[in-house]
Amino acid sequence: MAMGGPRYFEDVEVGTALEVLEKGPLTTAHLMRWSAAMENWHKIHYDKPFAIEHDKLPGLLVNGSLKQQFILQLLKDWVGPAGWVWKVSFQFRAMNLAGETLSVWGRVSAKRDGPGYGLADIDLGITNDAGKESTPGKATLALPYRGGAPVPYPFVPPPSVPQRS
Amino acid sequence: MALLTEALKQYIGLQSETETACDPVERGAVRRYAQAIMDEDPIYSEACANNARFGGPVAPPLYPTHMFRRAFGSPDPLQLRARDPDFDGLSATSAQGLPELEPIKHLALLNGGSEIEFFRYARRGESVKLQSRYADIVEKETSKGPMLFVTIETEYRNGDGELLMTVRRTLIRR
Repeated sequence: MAMGGPRYFEDVEVGTALEVLEKGPLTTAHLMRWSAAMENWHKIHYDKPFAIEHDKLPGLLVNGSLKQQFILQLLKDWVGPAGWVWKVSFQFRAMNLAGETLSVWGRVSAKRDGPGYGLADIDLGITNDAGKESTPGKATLALPYRGGAPVPYPFVPPPSVPQRS
Repeated sequence: MALLTEALKQYIGLQSETETACDPVERGAVRRYAQAIMDEDPIYSEACANNARFGGPVAPPLYPTHMFRRAFGSPDPLQLRARDPDFDGLSATSAQGLPELEPIKHLALLNGGSEIEFFRYARRGESVKLQSRYADIVEKETSKGPMLFVTIETEYRNGDGELLMTVRRTLIRR
């Protein structure tokens, strides 16, 4: 949950796993609720005959736009209220179908100092009940130093961070 | 290069006008959104210790990208195409303010993924505007045949012009 205290850069080690965020089972009602909340009426998320017969899909698809929300929640809650989710990237590599339960995972792959805050690189993804990965990605999070100030808001990126390859 | 024609290449670099979302960040819309994504973080709800440094209640991080909806009184695509059995329910909202890629409008559209940078949250009451450009269009040969990878870069700013976030989206067309 987001209500925890701050997480400090000193407490983060390469290899640290973020607590897995589980979402689901994602029923058709969940998908319809999301479609309505964002006013996007793409039928493959709620009209099963259209999805199967017209678009030749195996069933109703979990919206990629919903899966990315789960990734942001995982990162935001882990970095805490004094940190900042700076960069996130992900690829939609595989479909997830209505009825699946999704597990959003992350792991610290690198850490480095920034100007007044620390940076942690994260590998992340979303697996389903069968353990299949659908949404591999990466993120860079800014964390406060213990005893230091919160990460600046609005966020000020470091002046010369080497770009990830 | 069957798909990437000269006519299509003309779109690379094309920039949209600045478009302002039809509604500002509204409490009720944020509540429905937060409940739909199942993240009822108090920072979205009321002023609290954890949103004090953001200046009060904020919208979820990706909320600005979903604010560009059909304005009151504009044509209703659901009604216009209600008798079209091939209508998939999508309206032009997927182009982020950019004109449709006319030469390939018959091709299927898949969301390939995104690269996003965040600088600020959108605060309750703020308006949000976007500006996009077709950053690149490339053709790749895949195991499923030729595909086009369309990259759209979009900047989201608040009403004062302060940068909220940038998004590089990859749309796959085949």
